[in-house]
Amino acid sequence: MTDSTRKRLTVALRVVLGGIFLYAGGMKIADPVTFAGNVAAYKLLPTFGNYLVATTLPWVELLCGLLLVTGCRLRAATLIGLLMYLLFVVALTSAIVRGLDIDCGCFRQGGPKSSPWVALLRDLPLIAGMLLLLRLDGRRR
Amino acid sequence: MLITRRVIIEMALIVAIASTVGLLWNRQLLVASWSGAVQPPALTPGALRLPLPLGLMQVKELFDRGEGYILDARDIATFATGHLKGARSFPLGEFEARLPEFRKQVPKTMPLVIYCNGYGCHDSMELGKRLIAAGYWEIFVFEGGYPEWRDAGYPVEGSKP
Repeated sequence: MTDSTRKRLTVALRVVLGGIFLYAGGMKIADPVTFAGNVAAYKLLPTFGNYLVATTLPWVELLCGLLLVTGCRLRAATLIGLLMYLLFVVALTSAIVRGLDIDCGCFRQGGPKSSPWVALLRDLPLIAGMLLLLRLDGRRR
Repeated sequence: MLITRRVIIEMALIVAIASTVGLLWNRQLLVASWSGAVQPPALTPGALRLPLPLGLMQVKELFDRGEGYILDARDIATFATGHLKGARSFPLGEFEARLPEFRKQVPKTMPLVIYCNGYGCHDSMELGKRLIAAGYWEIFVFEGGYPEWRDAGYPVEGSKP
């Protein structure tokens, strides 16, 4: 892969992944109470824990999105994104294993419902994208 | 894949900064949920949150304790002729125009009791739904409305109550 191709691919990945993060974070920030309800549906945390997650996680998502799009602190932002998504995969898997029929709460809160399976499948390309971004960025240095 | 000490510090800083902003931004909601003032979020996913209906006695109790805000969803002219004592006019028809000012004055944690002209009137429920959509958490609808309150002989005010 030539340097310019690598550069273009990195920018494209940054902007797409960052854009998804910005959108996902923004939608949750707009309605923290409903998002807390969606977090509660996973039945993993106590009531206050759900609110704590619902009020902080979307902001981490938003900031990571901003950093990805701008290319600033790229490695750190991508790694946080990767960790968040891996954590999310664990939560989703646990929901599937426990047979919970829930909405993933990924984007617009209270919007069209997406089942855990759909959310899980949707996450895989995103995780792959972040891994690729880390790899491309690693080679550049 | 290179994860240096510097990257780890950067990650910690990013999470710390974003979380702090989130906590500060939602401080009212967090305080309310810690003290149990906010109802636990609906466990059914995507379930529409609806205003809770209240009976005459429950509204009277809230009224006597002076808790929350009482909102009159009817138009201003009807409000002027007679309304629950201390109620504030919030006509459904002027929702968009009045919401910004209302938001400035009334915190989202404030319990709101909404009424209109009794069981045949749906403006209070509609106003309640819109206020929930606007981010208010504790919305009650007094279904008996003004007629039930007046007929019970409870405090009212207006030009010809």
